Amino acid sequence: MVGTPVLFIAIPLMAAFLMPLLGMIWKELVRIVPGLVLTYLLILAINLLDHVLVHGPIIEVIAGWVPPIGINLVFNAFSGFLVTLMIFLGLLVWAYSYRFKRNVDYEPALKYFLMLMMLITGSVGIVLTGDIFNMFVFIEITSISAYGLTAFYKGRNSAEASFKYVMMGSIASTFLLLAIMIIYSQLGTLNMADIARKIHLMNPTLKIVSYIFFVTALGIEAEIFPLNGWAPDAYAEAPGPVGAAFAGIVVKAAVYAIIRYTYTIFDLSGSFNFLILIGMITLIIAETAAIRQEKLKRMLAYSSIGQMGLVLVAFGFGTKEGVFAALFLMLNHAITKSLLFFSGSYLVYNSTEKNITEVNGMSKYLPITSLLFAIGAFAIVGLPPFAGFWSKLSVMTAAADSNMILIMVLVLMVSVIELVYYLRVVNRIYFFKKEENTQPQKPTVNALVVMLILGAAILLIGFYPDAVTGILHKASATLVDKGQYIHNVLSLK
Amino acid sequence: MDSTYFHFLDYAVYGTAVLVMLIGFYGAMVKKSLLKIVIGLSVIDSGLNLLIVAIGYYKGGTAPIFSPGFLEHFKSVSKMVDPVPQALVLTAIVIGFGVTAVALALVIRLYRHHGTLNIDEIKNLKW
Repeated sequence: MVGTPVLFIAIPLMAAFLMPLLGMIWKELVRIVPGLVLTYLLILAINLLDHVLVHGPIIEVIAGWVPPIGINLVFNAFSGFLVTLMIFLGLLVWAYSYRFKRNVDYEPALKYFLMLMMLITGSVGIVLTGDIFNMFVFIEITSISAYGLTAFYKGRNSAEASFKYVMMGSIASTFLLLAIMIIYSQLGTLNMADIARKIHLMNPTLKIVSYIFFVTALGIEAEIFPLNGWAPDAYAEAPGPVGAAFAGIVVKAAVYAIIRYTYTIFDLSGSFNFLILIGMITLIIAETAAIRQEKLKRMLAYSSIGQMGLVLVAFGFGTKEGVFAALFLMLNHAITKSLLFFSGSYLVYNSTEKNITEVNGMSKYLPITSLLFAIGAFAIVGLPPFAGFWSKLSVMTAAADSNMILIMVLVLMVSVIELVYYLRVVNRIYFFKKEENTQPQKPTVNALVVMLILGAAILLIGFYPDAVTGILHKASATLVDKGQYIHNVLSLK
Repeated sequence: MDSTYFHFLDYAVYGTAVLVMLIGFYGAMVKKSLLKIVIGLSVIDSGLNLLIVAIGYYKGGTAPIFSPGFLEHFKSVSKMVDPVPQALVLTAIVIGFGVTAVALALVIRLYRHHGTLNIDEIKNLKW
């Protein structure tokens, strides 16, 4: 073993707070250090995931207090898979944003990379922790850095978008704390495994109230309708790579939290149907909203919300196949939507309005970026032979296994809507004449490499889905086995 | 000692906490000034913190500080109130402070950009 799970939190947090000091030594360090840290963490994550798939979960006790009293971190196939995915994306976001805008001063660069590190720390912490209050703290770390990143550009309406986000996020944190305290006042414990063991002792009404509070609070971060009012503005006003970080990292962590509460902690009988219901509503509303958008990033944001709805639907089946489909969707959405944000940012790089009409005819000036955007668009719609095809297919089979034919129909209908609005953009890129006032911007070399890596990943998963299905099967088996999770955490001495 | 009196006191604390939270919600939802909205959000936090401390308290409990002579005086450790909610509140206060600071920084930015604090006049984005 090369390290322990606590390093995923300790190292980036320490690096983030050391960055202002490192910047005093050499200003370029604030751009380089995050990359070094994330590279190390990615190697560590892959090593630990490899270990976990063979030898079973790693459960780390913090400060020597054994659960249920102390805080513990759980690195099993499920959380380990998500952590690896998040850190991989974090590294790509770093590489892409390195010199994204030329002539950025030292201070904005420092703030940007510092908050990016905090964002990754918080999201990874949400996934790793085994304690509900600790999770609250990590959610707040993630949110506060997300507020800051949303408000990064001074010229645009970013402060307004960020203020909207702060209002919703702060009410979310109130609900979250309230739900945590309801559980604590009933069961006297904050450890997830211990709560899961004792949850049947809880007053049924309070159990439902606290579950609803949890889903409401986390739904704001996970962009569930009607709590996603902040998301399109935040995505549109934040820098392009931050949109990728939100879609690939923050939202994944919030969905993880909802799933952890639904699958492991609570034992409510209707909660899976509830997930299907809110997922379905989110999916339909977001996709129909996406088709009406005139700005590229708002369209991508609504598409991202819709995909999260579909993920919740798949989790709502409650079966191992459903979880497998949901995880596959999360993986594909993370790489595909990041690619769309990365390439889309360059398609509308020099425009102030970021309208979809401004991508007209860009294929002649930015051939590789346009091709990668098209690959991403086809992949997210679910066309073969791209990665998205397999995840949509697994959602279909999972729905068929659970006898949910209507959901299959709805998913297909929604895919058609998706196809329409993505093809509209691709059509404009390839077959329209370039508008006179738009100026194409050549991507930097590192941005190009990042986009090529993501495009290659989409094609790789598209042609060889077996490359990832093994891990996904193990991860989904880990999630549905609630008894094993409780046993693993509470049997520590 | 009269136990009904303490019952009333328990509920009074919970009631006050919920009332403070509702006042905060009113401020955050109804008021038009950005500053008042931020104050409202901060008042919600205060009410919630009060509620959490009240959950950990029980009749006749004492501060959870283990000092020499504690056992001679109180006879048992169970006389202490639950220290966990107090520790949680400490964390929640710090987080609330951080969020308020970020929100106020954004208010300053919005004021410089639009020259007003009225939320109805800041409508470049769809609300």
